[in-house]
Amino acid sequence: MEADIIRHKPAKRLGGIFSRRILLDICLISAAIAFFFIFPNNLGFMTRVLVMIIMVLSLDLVLGYAGVATLGHAALFGSGAYAAGIFAVYISANPLLGLVVGALAGAIIAFFSGLILMRATGLTLLMLSIAVAQVLFELVNSERDLTGGSDGLLGIDMDPVLGLYAFDFYGKTGYWYALAVLVVVFILLRVFVASPFGLVARGIHASPERMRAIGTPVYWRLITIYTLAGGIAGIGGAVSAQVTELVSLESLGFNLSAEAMIMLILGGIGRLYGAIFGTVIFMTVHHFAASVDPFNWLFVIGILVLLVVYVVPEGVLGLPEKLRKHLGMAK
Amino acid sequence: MKKLFAALSAASAIGLASAGPALADHTVKVGIIAPFSGPFAIWGKQFQEAIEVYVAQNGESAGGHRIEFVYKDSGGPNPSGTKALAQELVISDGVDYLGGFVFTPNALAVAPLIDEAQIPTVIFNAATSIIVEKSDYFVRTSFSLWQVSVPMAEWAYAQGIRTAAISVTDYGPGNDAEIAFKTAFEALGGTVVDTIKMPLATTDFAPFMQRIKDQSPDAVFGFLPAGPPSFAYIKAYNENGLREAGIEFLGTGEMDETTLEAIGDAAIGITTAYHYSGAHPSEMNQAFTDKIDEMFPGSVTNLASVGAYDGAHILYQMIGAVGSERTEAVDVVRGLAWESPRGPVSIDPVTRHITQNVYIRRVARDENGRLVNEEFDVIEAVPDLGLVEN
Repeated sequence: MEADIIRHKPAKRLGGIFSRRILLDICLISAAIAFFFIFPNNLGFMTRVLVMIIMVLSLDLVLGYAGVATLGHAALFGSGAYAAGIFAVYISANPLLGLVVGALAGAIIAFFSGLILMRATGLTLLMLSIAVAQVLFELVNSERDLTGGSDGLLGIDMDPVLGLYAFDFYGKTGYWYALAVLVVVFILLRVFVASPFGLVARGIHASPERMRAIGTPVYWRLITIYTLAGGIAGIGGAVSAQVTELVSLESLGFNLSAEAMIMLILGGIGRLYGAIFGTVIFMTVHHFAASVDPFNWLFVIGILVLLVVYVVPEGVLGLPEKLRKHLGMAK
Repeated sequence: MKKLFAALSAASAIGLASAGPALADHTVKVGIIAPFSGPFAIWGKQFQEAIEVYVAQNGESAGGHRIEFVYKDSGGPNPSGTKALAQELVISDGVDYLGGFVFTPNALAVAPLIDEAQIPTVIFNAATSIIVEKSDYFVRTSFSLWQVSVPMAEWAYAQGIRTAAISVTDYGPGNDAEIAFKTAFEALGGTVVDTIKMPLATTDFAPFMQRIKDQSPDAVFGFLPAGPPSFAYIKAYNENGLREAGIEFLGTGEMDETTLEAIGDAAIGITTAYHYSGAHPSEMNQAFTDKIDEMFPGSVTNLASVGAYDGAHILYQMIGAVGSERTEAVDVVRGLAWESPRGPVSIDPVTRHITQNVYIRRVARDENGRLVNEEFDVIEAVPDLGLVEN
């Protein structure tokens, strides 16, 4: 973490890092486009990966950058999903408006729950964040008339994106739509992370006391970050609702929060790319293991998580650095 | 590892089969989506065993079409994942029919997809009434909560039960069961003294039991998910003295065959209304349970098994008649009547839901000392009352 902060200091190197990153970004986007043509039969799955990346990026902002450990991120994702779903059923089936509604819902829930959550730290915060998600879960479960309860929210029938591209059953539109949203979210996050405000987040992570000592209102900064993350998770939820055309209680479930965290740890926390690689690796392994052997695939996932925790606790993105260090020592 | 190889060779076989031109004796593929991992894996296991028994009894082909089943793991309730799986099955595996589906949201999620791709889909379990209304390509071989709860209420009233408390788990099926029982019981003139909605995660049922006992109704109608909750509920029912107080327990699927032995003696005498008992006395059921026992020693048949077995029957009928020309396949089974291990059944030509007998059963030990649901009364040919009355 220290190293990351220092890396931002010298202006000269910043430019270098930026151009290298842009190259990587272009590679990633090209890969996403190429996948569309290479795996035309797996668009449904790949769309789910894109949606999940949005969710994990949002968690990375909270956990990786601001250092706030939460296990209730599904509360924000699910709020976005339900808000966008209900909006589509009763008010307007315009996908882009739905995104705005999802983002607002996620941000509002994040803001109000953040008022309580950000006063706590450590285990207390972890427990509270789970509680928030559980309360929302039960609320949605009991309001069956509006949300469909455990049957799921039905009747979402989206209009074509921009009035031009209808959601088709091959999932082509869904894929491009999710990819476009992801790219926008990623660029926003990139700008945010590099901004002075992003540095404040890292500062709070490294030492809240020192930040307070230099005059940063830590509590309100954390709430701002959490609200922003809520908006992003809400967007992820909205895309999920629009592409699946159904929202179920599981979008608020503990499992989703936990899986998102595993993906982030797998990729490497505190790095935007970590969220991307972690999600892609976890879900791909999950997908292929489950389709090769639908009966025992959980075993493979277990091994994968164990390996990461023991061998590269910094996540997959920590691997090159670790190798470099090892080689350096060997010299 | 063995399974992995089997799956791999199956996968390569699929590749070879689809490479060849469409011959008269070509393969028709059926995708089965069910939980094969996690806490609900028992469902997938029961489905698969029942299908394999059906195939063993009826051969691998129907009407000159070889039938091949492709299994996909949906995990728990997971609509977006299920939809993606269904997409993949249709687009890349080239399946012409779908089957399985344990959870309502999962089944609902594929409705728009099977409409667009015209894929006849047989639901082996998901029991919320509305599902079959969401696509004309759905056929259901399980049951609905209305279908079994209303006969339970009517039977109870006929036995002289006039007051009842209702205690259901607070989620979709529980709410369905509650409304169905209440509507039917009150229509007859019975009184519901109390309705308790128990949270899904409840493990200690003693407070609910005490509350019911204090009101001393003639009976308590309960709905709980099969497995640990049913187990804990029945235990609390006995321990809190409701049984001694003469408050009869009325239920539906709580005495599931796969968990019955775990409940043990506490279950003896419990009355439920349901569409299938593993101990249904018929030759057909005997053959079914014997074959399960022969192919999968230690396995028992339950509602999931019979749903999948009859589901396979429906799929065989459709494929036998039209093969992969599936657009009109559902019409083949509208009104179809046949003998199932659960008794005589038919597919309602309008709702595409199964019409079946509902049996009143009581748990007892059979001659081998095993706990079984012994059928002693029957309400014949019950349609999905949820679709009829709503």
